[in-house]
Amino acid sequence: MSSELLFWLNLLVGVGIYTLLAASLNLINGSAGMFHLGHHGFWALGAYGATWMTLQGGSLSGPVVYVSSLIFAMAIAALGGLSIGIPCLRLRGDYLAIATLGFGEIVRIAVQNSPHDFLGGSLGIQVPRVLMKVTPKTLVAFRVLTLSIVAVACAAAIVTFRNYLRSMPGRRLLAVAQDETAAGLLGINPTRSKVLAFVMGSAVAGLAGGLYAHYMGGINPLNFNFMEMVKIFLIIVLGGMGSLSGCAVGAFLVVATEQLLNRAPEAIASWWQVLFPLILAIMIIFRPQGIFGRREIRDVWRSWRRRTA
Amino acid sequence: MLDYLLNGLALGAIFAFIALGYTMVYGIIKLINFAHGEFFMFGAFLGFFVLRDLGIDRLPLPQPLPILLSYLVALSAASLGAGTLAVVTERVAYRPVRRASRIAALITAVCVSLILQNLAVKAWGAAPRAYPQPREWTDVGALDGTAEANLYALTRFETTDGTVTENEVRVVAAGEPIDDAMRERLRAAGHERVYRQVQVGRGWTRGFVLLALALWAPVLWFLVKRTRMGKAMRAVSGDTDAARLMGIDINRVIAWTFFLGAFVAGVGGVAYCVSYGKVEPLTGFLPGMKAFIAAVIGGIGSIPGAIVGGLVLGTAESLIPYALREGLGWEAAFAWKDAIAFALLIVILVFKPTGILGKAVREKV
Repeated sequence: MSSELLFWLNLLVGVGIYTLLAASLNLINGSAGMFHLGHHGFWALGAYGATWMTLQGGSLSGPVVYVSSLIFAMAIAALGGLSIGIPCLRLRGDYLAIATLGFGEIVRIAVQNSPHDFLGGSLGIQVPRVLMKVTPKTLVAFRVLTLSIVAVACAAAIVTFRNYLRSMPGRRLLAVAQDETAAGLLGINPTRSKVLAFVMGSAVAGLAGGLYAHYMGGINPLNFNFMEMVKIFLIIVLGGMGSLSGCAVGAFLVVATEQLLNRAPEAIASWWQVLFPLILAIMIIFRPQGIFGRREIRDVWRSWRRRTA
Repeated sequence: MLDYLLNGLALGAIFAFIALGYTMVYGIIKLINFAHGEFFMFGAFLGFFVLRDLGIDRLPLPQPLPILLSYLVALSAASLGAGTLAVVTERVAYRPVRRASRIAALITAVCVSLILQNLAVKAWGAAPRAYPQPREWTDVGALDGTAEANLYALTRFETTDGTVTENEVRVVAAGEPIDDAMRERLRAAGHERVYRQVQVGRGWTRGFVLLALALWAPVLWFLVKRTRMGKAMRAVSGDTDAARLMGIDINRVIAWTFFLGAFVAGVGGVAYCVSYGKVEPLTGFLPGMKAFIAAVIGGIGSIPGAIVGGLVLGTAESLIPYALREGLGWEAAFAWKDAIAFALLIVILVFKPTGILGKAVREKV
């Protein structure tokens, strides 16, 4: 019973972290229409930033270190987003994709080659438990606590993104995404709108990284490889580019499938690596708008009620 | 310094081989074919199987002709196999998305690349395998004096499930005297013949790769500039709809382009693995990315550009870390060479997105 509970708690924390990643990628790829393939880089920046900050924590009380490390993770990822966004966001389409993918790889290579006593290098690094003591006895409590923090973070991120997209800068961003030239003629600075969205997205990916590092208790450069990027992409394509609630649904579908497959015998589980790019390809060919398209759950619910009424 | 330059040029030649395929495909259907690195890996694996089954590691040296012939067979198998895989991939995965948006096509390409990679893991296992290399065999009876290098013998042993595997064991260490007692001991252990590892010299591989590029580039240039199919390719890349109206079979031209690109990549795959001494399903990922960078540096869509870009990238990747190490005393500079390549890409994209030899197009990138 307890192991079953632990499995589902773990799954839900995973869903929450991937929802954060997907929602932030969705802001960049879906709403802003930029083809960004380096999100795993920001995720890694956040995770390693939080780890570094936690190690500096020293004698400060646990929750203070926890929160400040998350803030630092967001800041460092946002800084990364700013420094890569300003030169690269003048590029379009395929070129932007390759440049950001290059950025993601640079982050991974940098961490892999870092000195062992700084970020752990290719062997990975342990993250001190600052939130609470984690023993087999308190594992359930730890996972419940993490889950609630992740849920709050998800809700905060989604509300922020939704309000941002309804605000003046958000409307500008949508205009730029639809037609950059026309938006420019209306007096909007396209690069500024895009960089702003990019920085917001990367900060939230950094937050996801910080939460992930604290939850796992140890991170490794291989956790942040290109396959993860494709997984996040699959989530937003499944949920529908531009739909925030689609992200949560997509994250649940992808993470649950992966975790449940992991319990299956090895012979079946190992096909996951072939299966998920295949699903992504099939989705993109036959239903590129995903499950929800640009709609949110509420819109789907309303139209369904109207039809049945 | 010269050594680093030559290494860089040889590596650059391999990048150029792969970049040719990227650039040709991009020139025609404006798609970054992410799976190109996997065609390269497939070619390298086919070359591996051919070399292994021809027993290149069993040939008594010095026998240049059989060795040369085995490499030729391996190269042809690799290039034909990679070409076939490319044509099949184009038919199955890329044709359905040709009319879809460019982003959809690009995502499909990324997916195809991951699928091929993971299928290779399923088929051949994820562990790297040593690429077969020639060995120098001698009879134990002929040995005399002091061993100037480590001598090895092959031992066969059967595992519990009945498969027979071969292991190499070192039987004589370098510097050990070989006298009657040693010969007796070797014979008693069943080692009639022993061998010493032949390091195919870096000079040889470098020469081979550069020569192959020098031979291939004019052939490719001829195919694209002087044949009917080449003319059709250029027509399709200039204006697909007009080409179709002129009665050109677009599908055939595209399939042919994929075949030609992967054909060259297969050669590159064998060359790369011969010089690195191993092959694995992930072999194609990084060289594939680098070759794309090379294509962008040279100007994507341009065949001479791909060659120039490849050589520039290879040289930069070898000389910049060298300069950083010698000049700044930064010991770890070579571990960062991949990051340097990507940084170079970003710099090129920002300052001259059309590359060194690319034509300026109206579409802003």
